[in-house]
Amino acid sequence: MNRVLFSRLIDLVVVLFGVSIIVFLMIRLIPGDAVAIMLGANTEITPERMAELKSRVGLDRPIVEQYLLWAGAALRGDFGTSLWTGRPVSTEIMIHLWPTLELTFLSLFIGAVLAVPVGCLMAQTRGGAADVAMRVAAIAGLTIPSFWLGIVLILLLATLAPSFASLGYVPFTEDPIGNLQRMLLPSIALALPILANLSRLVRSAMLDALGQDYIRTARAKGLSERKVVYKHALRNALIPFLTSVGIMTGYLLGGAIVVEQVFAIPGLGRLILGAIAERNYPVIQATILVVTAGFVLVNFLVDLLYIVVDPRVRA
Amino acid sequence: MFRSALRSAMGAGFMVAAMASASAQVLEIGADNSPTGLDPHLITAFPSFMVVNGNIYEGLTAVDKDLKVVPSLAESWTVSSDGKTYTFKLRDNVKFHDGSAMEAEDVVSTIKRVQSKEIASPLASRLSAIESANAVDPRTVELKLKEPSAPLLASLATIAIVPSSVETNKDVLQKQPVGTGPFKFQEWQPNGFILLAKNDNYWQQGLPKLSGLKFNIVPESATRQVGLTNGQYALLPNIDAATALQLKGKPGVKLSETLELAYTLIGMNVSKPPFDNPKVREAVNYAINRQEIVDAALFGAGVPGGPLSPALKSWALDVNEFPCYSHDPAKAEALLKESGVSLPINVTMNVLPRQDIKDVAQVVQEQLNKVGFNVELKNQEQGQFIQDWRNSNFDMFASLNAGNPDPDEYFYRTFRTGGSTNVFKYSDAEIDRLLDSARTMQDQAERKKAYDQVQKKLACSGPVAHLTYGTLFSAMRDKLQGYEVMPNRSLSTLRDATY
Amino acid sequence: MSRLAKNKLLSFALFLVVLQLVLAIGAPLIAPYDPMAQSIARRLRGPTELNWLGTDQLGRDVLTRILYGYRTSLIACVLAVGVALLAGGSLGLVAAYYRGWIDRIIMRVMDVLFAFPVMLLAIGIIAVLGPHTYSAAAAIAVVYTPIFARLLRGPALVLCESEYVAGARAIGASDARIIFLHILPNLASVILVQTSLLLSAAILVEASLSFLGLGTQPPTPSLGLMLSEGRNFLQLSPWSAIFAGFAILFLSFGFNLLGDALRDTLDPRLRGQS
Repeated sequence: MNRVLFSRLIDLVVVLFGVSIIVFLMIRLIPGDAVAIMLGANTEITPERMAELKSRVGLDRPIVEQYLLWAGAALRGDFGTSLWTGRPVSTEIMIHLWPTLELTFLSLFIGAVLAVPVGCLMAQTRGGAADVAMRVAAIAGLTIPSFWLGIVLILLLATLAPSFASLGYVPFTEDPIGNLQRMLLPSIALALPILANLSRLVRSAMLDALGQDYIRTARAKGLSERKVVYKHALRNALIPFLTSVGIMTGYLLGGAIVVEQVFAIPGLGRLILGAIAERNYPVIQATILVVTAGFVLVNFLVDLLYIVVDPRVRA
Repeated sequence: MFRSALRSAMGAGFMVAAMASASAQVLEIGADNSPTGLDPHLITAFPSFMVVNGNIYEGLTAVDKDLKVVPSLAESWTVSSDGKTYTFKLRDNVKFHDGSAMEAEDVVSTIKRVQSKEIASPLASRLSAIESANAVDPRTVELKLKEPSAPLLASLATIAIVPSSVETNKDVLQKQPVGTGPFKFQEWQPNGFILLAKNDNYWQQGLPKLSGLKFNIVPESATRQVGLTNGQYALLPNIDAATALQLKGKPGVKLSETLELAYTLIGMNVSKPPFDNPKVREAVNYAINRQEIVDAALFGAGVPGGPLSPALKSWALDVNEFPCYSHDPAKAEALLKESGVSLPINVTMNVLPRQDIKDVAQVVQEQLNKVGFNVELKNQEQGQFIQDWRNSNFDMFASLNAGNPDPDEYFYRTFRTGGSTNVFKYSDAEIDRLLDSARTMQDQAERKKAYDQVQKKLACSGPVAHLTYGTLFSAMRDKLQGYEVMPNRSLSTLRDATY
Repeated sequence: MSRLAKNKLLSFALFLVVLQLVLAIGAPLIAPYDPMAQSIARRLRGPTELNWLGTDQLGRDVLTRILYGYRTSLIACVLAVGVALLAGGSLGLVAAYYRGWIDRIIMRVMDVLFAFPVMLLAIGIIAVLGPHTYSAAAAIAVVYTPIFARLLRGPALVLCESEYVAGARAIGASDARIIFLHILPNLASVILVQTSLLLSAAILVEASLSFLGLGTQPPTPSLGLMLSEGRNFLQLSPWSAIFAGFAILFLSFGFNLLGDALRDTLDPRLRGQS
């Protein structure tokens, strides 16, 4: 087990190193003069200003030294200052991180919680037309564009319940109910594909479980059927479920970027899109780096859980 | 680092909570875009202007709803007979938001700040006539000019007075504005909101009536609209016709409208073919159907316009005075033939990233392609667009410009040879002569005559095809009283508003 | 599920995909109008006899623009997934075939690319290349390359170990011959299924990017862009946005269903993997 853990840790470090190199090189691959572009619209471009910004961003040093300085600072949580607001980039990221995390978590939660009853329901009606209908429905759920769903939901709400204040963002610490009220629609828009995916997992696990020997044994022992099926089937579904969660975090972070735009949630998506419009490269770089690192860590944790849950992997 | 940042972010959250519950009269405003900075001498974009101008900051003078110059921080002024010395008497009860008194020294330092090379303010050209500024006593400022300047008083309305302590600092006001206005800066959550609180020490007794302004940043138009109809936002300021049309007649919502100073335009680079040829530029003007643009992109809410906004009633010529404003594709084709440029004329049009401008560009593209152009649209991010604009890196572009109450403010920097925003590289001896003399004229009628000539010349063969002036709308809840939309997009009337 | 139902589902999926392909390829012939032709007098209308799906904010025919939008979307996505398949597939096969340090280096690089959330890497790539249909396509190609590499390497490793490949090697077949004639055909079904599923996902990514203004630019007809432009006029006329949304859904749905049905039909053991 320790050896597995150790090799996974090595993998983790290698991947994070590679990610940092790609993110680092990004700014240097921009066609044209990145410094002139960053200097941007608000000031006149003079050689002195270019030189000043170049040294401020550190572009005037040898490339290896640039990387080491940048990565070293990043490891300490220092991503420099935002070109426009002059605020530390890490502060900007922290401010924008919570709404995105909350949105991601809520969507995952809604999707996962609903997936159990929906999946069980799906497992109960089986065979023929019902099977087909459910698969079609699940795939439709997977392929609905979340931003479109978001817009449709807003429109529906505006017509059906016009007084339901539901837009923007209030921190949970400030107004828990208002916060959840506002997060409800975006979370639903994002959760649908997750629900579709997870309920399929639950369903096939249920069907598997119903056919297994131990179910028959358990029944023979006189346990109530419902309890038996749920317990075993859900345990069976746990491993593919965990794998999915890792992958879905990536999907959710991507989906959140678009949905935040629709629902006016000041999360990382808004941060990075705003940064792109302003050509604020330090912010773009740092956001991609931080989110990707987070994503990699989530998958690493999922891997670890995997080892704990499924003894076969330990071998 | 991260942890401390987190803590401060959460602390800020609690602070707002305490504030919000203490005052119920914070006006919730739905804004479409996040400002990039709040320094009144450095900002260039509408989202920043909307927050700071007239709310946080004030100038020596101000312009009212009819675009007339009125006293503001200066309660009166006198002009010497040669027109080269202005003496301003300041109000004596004005305090900055940090508690310090606003005095002549601050005015002098503000003018130096705007003029300084290090600060590199885009407003510098507006003060180019000022040779020196002196504080005669704490309440008297004297400005000495190089030559008489007719637009000076209107220009001063756009120069926010800031404390002398920030004269050389480029960063601090971007995040922490300190002014004299009716509202003071309270909190900025990037991409979330900007909160302004009531300035209890405001020099106008009893104002402002609201206890604060909260600019919620909501990029999605549909979301802003729903927010207003369900009462979450009380005001959507400075919206376009399409949005106004969708909000018209919604229960609890009312609209306020005015003809605005800002205009849509097609800019042409005269430093290279094909637009170095005046006949080609004239052909563009004949090919464009301005009424169709009004109908298409502005949903009928606007008027075709020349170089000056019809809102500037004392200056603008009627568009009937410009022959090229009668849509005439045949004439356009004939002009192109005369020009000797080979057809089709392949050009790229850079497009400012706003929905209305993207629509304008698509309509103009179709109109121009009908007479022998082959226009390709290049949709750019804001930063890239402005950079290409500044560096004259374009064939032509479609954009929206804020207008000015005085013709000189716009004409001189835009069309004078070497003007600070003459990105078209336009150079015409007659225009230069007219602009140079008109800015020093003291006689209004004489000045008007000069600008009439400028308008006629620029309208058809200048580097800019002026398209339309839109009706500007603001949508608000019925309960909001006293606020009126202004032609220059300023929200300064909010100080009188109640909700 | 019964065999019959499976076949029906597969036929239905094939029908959906082929129909949309035909619509896209035949757009210039089928479409009732010029996709750029504006008619201000008739803008923002709902469905009428003249414009079956209504008109957009410039009076352009929504049906026409959706048909051309299919084209834009499919060209971008087929190109992107094709490049990813070619690049990722080759890398995966090469890695499996040569093993050793080549394998390790290739797969490490793939791991790194795979570590990025799809949209985020795509946005990063577009930040470098600038917004355009082909930037979006390039971004999608890069993002999906490691998926194909990982997908093919595993089964290819097993095949390389097989007696069958060992036999080919023994009779002196060249590396390329072995890879193309002996290994690749055995992976056809895996490739087919994954390509179909990734096309489905790519269509959503392209639409999202265009929606955000980072992909296809006006006046080029694009589904994501139509949705993005139409959303400004939702209360006046939601038609353009609603139909564009349905078009994205049908296109992505068709490919996903096809992949799903193919997986069932070609290799039932693959079920549950994705």
